[in-house]
Amino acid sequence: MPKRKTEKKKLNIPQKNPEKLIAKDDVRIDGRKLDELRPVKIEVGVLGNADGSAYIEQGKNKILAAVYGPKEVHPRHLALPDRALLRCRYHMAPFSVEERKSPAPSRREVELSKVIREALEPSVFVEYYPRTSIDIFIEVLQADGGTRCAAITVASLALADAGIPMRDLVVACAAGKVDGRLVVDLTDFEDKEGEADVPLALMPNLNAITLLQMDGGLTVDEFEKAVNLAIDGCRELYKFQKEALKSKYVAVKEAVEE
Amino acid sequence: MSRSERKSGQFVVPGDRLGVIEEFTSGPGTYVEHGTIYSKTTGRTLMDTLNKKVSVYPLVQAVGVPRVGSVVSGQVLDVKSKVGVLRILNVGKRSLSGFFTGILHISDVSPSYVETMFSVCKTGDIMRAKVISDKNRTFYLSTADKNLGVIYAFCSQCGHVMLLRRQRLECSRCGNIEERKVTSDYGEGAM
Repeated sequence: MPKRKTEKKKLNIPQKNPEKLIAKDDVRIDGRKLDELRPVKIEVGVLGNADGSAYIEQGKNKILAAVYGPKEVHPRHLALPDRALLRCRYHMAPFSVEERKSPAPSRREVELSKVIREALEPSVFVEYYPRTSIDIFIEVLQADGGTRCAAITVASLALADAGIPMRDLVVACAAGKVDGRLVVDLTDFEDKEGEADVPLALMPNLNAITLLQMDGGLTVDEFEKAVNLAIDGCRELYKFQKEALKSKYVAVKEAVEE
Repeated sequence: MSRSERKSGQFVVPGDRLGVIEEFTSGPGTYVEHGTIYSKTTGRTLMDTLNKKVSVYPLVQAVGVPRVGSVVSGQVLDVKSKVGVLRILNVGKRSLSGFFTGILHISDVSPSYVETMFSVCKTGDIMRAKVISDKNRTFYLSTADKNLGVIYAFCSQCGHVMLLRRQRLECSRCGNIEERKVTSDYGEGAM
């Protein structure tokens, strides 16, 4: 048995039952502070065939989003007479998790597709494109907790990259309770071993929440604190989101001028 | 956006605050919500201090949806005696990622009288047309202009490209002669 323990440490996999998820000096198992986000890397316009695309790495999460449209709706009877039909497919690659996931859409993926669509819909001027569809494809290449939030963040950038008129960008971040302490941006391990998880999506300039869920239990007071913590996390992430869009288009402009 | 930053050429993303309606009117690329003007696209600001108008010059444009007056091109899907169906693949010069469907009625083919649609186009032909109506979100097309009509035709006998020889369309392989409503730049124009 002791031999196995050393093996696990080498692979940097959290032990199944660590004594504590948060050390005495407020350091989490991955070395972060309680209100610290995971390192984020965002890129816009990574796919050539899609009308808009974006890629995010948030900690160990790796997610790709592509947007097609506005285009004619097929099947035709789904078309809406007064606005565009926003369709969203959240999908996890079979190799995205430790144990192979069946590539067929699971109950969870169908639900997340709906939740993500509803989080993005208020930001898009769907009424500009009646009887068309805007299709969003989200592919999770590697998952480590908080994929729905990261998916919303990239999908919103992919929509902006497609040039679709939007009220605001949508940015999402989770807060939760781990070891009795409120933390932001939970990893998969913290999510599973912790007490609660509150994913939240925000339109930062309009100050509007488009997604708010809770899994686990929090007191009213803790919930309010968690929401504020998640909002702060969203605002921090929004800076990266904006920077990613800027770096694409400003770089393009400089290339043209040269 | 603070006052010192209020000048043209600023890079903005959707949702960026541009000002309030008391100081500016909202131009293209912007929208107003609760008295505040926001950007709705990624682009650069254009502050017209003379007319007190703020707009955003877009750096990205969404895929074009056909509008009334836009010139579109695509492939003929189906031809009936009075009507032709066009699969629109290009709007203006931009190609679509998907497609739209347009309808060309015999009365909109040419200013002169046309007996049958079969003398205008055949299935598989590449056509250029203008959108004249989008009532009920069906795109009604017209080719009543000399640079509108078939830009590439294919022989109904062997499927090879038809060439324009002495004002007639002749198959490049079997020599079959057919009739079409061709454009003035037949065979040379790109989509």
